[in-house]
Amino acid sequence: MSNDAPLRIEGLRAGYGQADIVHGVSLSVARAEMVTIIGPNGAGKSTLLKAAAGAVRPRPGSSVTVAGREVAGLPASEIARAGVAYVPQEANVFRSLSVRENLELGAWSDRRRIADGLARVHAIFPVLSERAGARAGLLSGGQRQMVAFAMALMLEPAVLLLDEPSAGLSPVMVDQMFEAIIAVNRTGVAILMVEQNAVQALKISNRGVVMAAGAVAATGTAADLLADRSVAELYLGAAR
Amino acid sequence: MIGQLILNGFINAALLAPPAVAFTILFGILKFPNFAIGAYVTVGAFAAFAVNVQLGLPIWVAVVGAMAAGAAVAWLSDALVFKPLRGHAPVTLLVVSIAVAFILEQCVRLFYGGNVRGFDLALERPMRLWGLRITKEQLEILVISAVITLLVHLLLTYTAVGKAMRATADNPGLAEVRGIPHRRIAVFTWLLCGAIFGLSGFLAGLDLVIEPHIGWNLTIPIFAAAILGGIGSAGGALLGAILVGIAEELTVLVLPTTYKVAVGFLIITILLLFRPHGLFGQAEIKK
Ligand SMILES: Nc1ncnc2c1ncn2[C@@H]1O[C@H](COP(=O)(O)OP(=O)(O)O)[C@@H](O)[C@H]1O
Ligand SMILES: [Mg+2]
Repeated sequence: MSNDAPLRIEGLRAGYGQADIVHGVSLSVARAEMVTIIGPNGAGKSTLLKAAAGAVRPRPGSSVTVAGREVAGLPASEIARAGVAYVPQEANVFRSLSVRENLELGAWSDRRRIADGLARVHAIFPVLSERAGARAGLLSGGQRQMVAFAMALMLEPAVLLLDEPSAGLSPVMVDQMFEAIIAVNRTGVAILMVEQNAVQALKISNRGVVMAAGAVAATGTAADLLADRSVAELYLGAAR
Repeated sequence: MIGQLILNGFINAALLAPPAVAFTILFGILKFPNFAIGAYVTVGAFAAFAVNVQLGLPIWVAVVGAMAAGAAVAWLSDALVFKPLRGHAPVTLLVVSIAVAFILEQCVRLFYGGNVRGFDLALERPMRLWGLRITKEQLEILVISAVITLLVHLLLTYTAVGKAMRATADNPGLAEVRGIPHRRIAVFTWLLCGAIFGLSGFLAGLDLVIEPHIGWNLTIPIFAAAILGGIGSAGGALLGAILVGIAEELTVLVLPTTYKVAVGFLIITILLLFRPHGLFGQAEIKK
């Protein structure tokens, strides 16, 4: 893969306090590629995404490049401006603000693009335009997840980091969310996604990465991982 | 009699509302109760005195001077003290802020001693409105306070920086990953709130006399107003200021005036009894 992949992570170590949780993970995501990370609870999947986004500071020596530019160690707001949009699993909307204000804040660093961004995300999730004035904290879980995702799309990021976008959603909502993710991916966005809904997520992904105990345990095309018996027994069965 | 007390209560509230709103905004972004706010008020009052009386400049220049001085000391106290301590427990920052308050107040005493002063204003008879007494200064306090509170409301509601401030108060981690730099928002908040505290010093000096305790005497009622309004809510702080302001005046019906200051303490005590987590409840629930 060329050196200016939208996202390249090399030897990434990260953790909380003194303890390392992620021990030297390397992976990269190409333009229009979708990579799904699966693995047991506590494997460090969320920590990996947080470190890539700058929400947790990677340990010295880690490398995260965005289109060839080193961003490891930069404040999260600058990594966001470099085109990386990270959607946390929880607390991913501004609960006391309206839906409309949440979406506008997604374009805070380039406010001339608010109107264009609103038009785009309303086309993906029309319900957000109907609920523009509602407080985000009062929405249903599914609609809140839409706001979180739409906020991240406001400035057309080159890279999306999604932490369990389908968590807690009804089956119908899961399908709708995955369809939206596919549609965004088709516009060329590189997507790195953590999912518990492993089978469904791998089916729409190009590649999969299995993480265990803070390291990459297996990696391959989504089809290979789905066919791999040991992966299936270890990680897919429990998630079914 | 009661009408006059309620009018006095509103004037009192007009003195409390802007700093209570500023205190609650500062708390929302910085996540600790800053006891130095009274000292910022005092610095504002003396800066206005210096401009108006010592330099002999018009009173509106004194307003600008008070706001600039308030913004400057608030920003400096952050740059020199609070920013280096970022990440420490709120209670640590609270204790440190009390120290900052004493240091600032002693600096003021160093230059001005403990004497009582006033602005260079022509004394006028109080006006009479529907049988109620009100001085020209008190009318100005009501108008300036209402205007500044409205401006803060408009800033928070409609401007990009105001929305970013509310977002940062709501969820600082998410604001940062959405490209809203925490540090820039914090600096803007210190300057804005510092300017409001400075202006409050000017208003308090207009109503009372200027002395080094002027801000400290306002601190407890400001805290009471902000807590009463549900800390973190600017609208709530305004409402809290009106309630505390009127409650303080109405106590003179039953108690000597010197007990006025006890009202703020009483309100805080009652609130803490019924909300055991009190002021720090929010910070702890986050864990
Ligand atoms: N904010 C935090 N502070 C301390 N430890 C944490 C924090 N978040 C996660 N951890 C710990 O890091 C480990 C990995 O967590 P996480 O990255 O969320 O795993 P996953 O997303 O794979 O379930 C867990 O043992 C968890 O307890
Ligand atoms: Mg996780």
